[in-house]
Amino acid sequence: MGNPGSESKRVKTMNKHLTMRSGNPALKATTFRKHLSAVTEGAMTLSGTVNKTGIGLILIILSAGYTWGNPAMHGLVFPAVIGGFILAMVTIFKPQYGHITVPMYAVVEGIFLGVISMIFEQMYPGIVIQAIFLTFGTLGALLLAYKSGLIKATENFKLGVVAATGGIAILYVINMLMGFFGSSIGVIHSNGMMGILFSGFVVVIAALNLVLDFDFIEEGVEMGAPKYMEWYGAFGLLVTLIWLYLEILRLLAKLQSRR
Amino acid sequence: MENPALILSIPLILIVGLSLIKLAKKKGPDGKPWFRIEKGENNE
Repeated sequence: MGNPGSESKRVKTMNKHLTMRSGNPALKATTFRKHLSAVTEGAMTLSGTVNKTGIGLILIILSAGYTWGNPAMHGLVFPAVIGGFILAMVTIFKPQYGHITVPMYAVVEGIFLGVISMIFEQMYPGIVIQAIFLTFGTLGALLLAYKSGLIKATENFKLGVVAATGGIAILYVINMLMGFFGSSIGVIHSNGMMGILFSGFVVVIAALNLVLDFDFIEEGVEMGAPKYMEWYGAFGLLVTLIWLYLEILRLLAKLQSRR
Repeated sequence: MENPALILSIPLILIVGLSLIKLAKKKGPDGKPWFRIEKGENNE
């Protein structure tokens, strides 16, 4: 890190690659740049990020499983949503504390996912295991596609995914605001052909965000980002996976409600 | 619609298949694909 030659090489690499790196708002172009000079204990590694993502996933599964089996926990769903949002904000603005905030985020999101999953399971038995299978199947398939070079995170690809993700986010915010007045955007909740196509589109965009996350993590490793950014990379991947799982759950519910 | 999960897994299977084909065609450090079928020479 101290070598000025390697420093300028790293900055050049960043300038070359870190433009609109991810559609995930947690993984922005300037993220690594801000933390480049703050190296204290080694550099970010791929295996470290994979391990931390694994820890996060295990915490989510344990927390969701515990919530599922304990009705007393169901009252915690709204505090979990708010807590998750606060922890996400802290992680984004203070990634140095990722080793504390990311595991906590995983636990509170697990509470939320446990309750949501249970509600869907009561309505459509068997839907949760299908959604879990499809979420991890998508993760594996896209990881293979990324490693093989079948899907490349080119600038145009990133721009398209970021724009689509932004569009979906705006639509969801408008829908939420309309909800306060007892109204909603029909296509988001409808189980008609348009509703299913919309959900399918959202699932595809959520899945493509995984590619941007892989690219972001690979870039951080390549640039020698600080060790604590492993937690940040894991956090980005967890956010995308949670989103993907919820959208797959919604799509499956729409499809099953037509049977 | 029989099983929606089965239908949704079709694109995943396609992606995996195409990725494996791409990987098989990828050339290794010696300039040759890492997986190939070659005609063996006859031994005496």
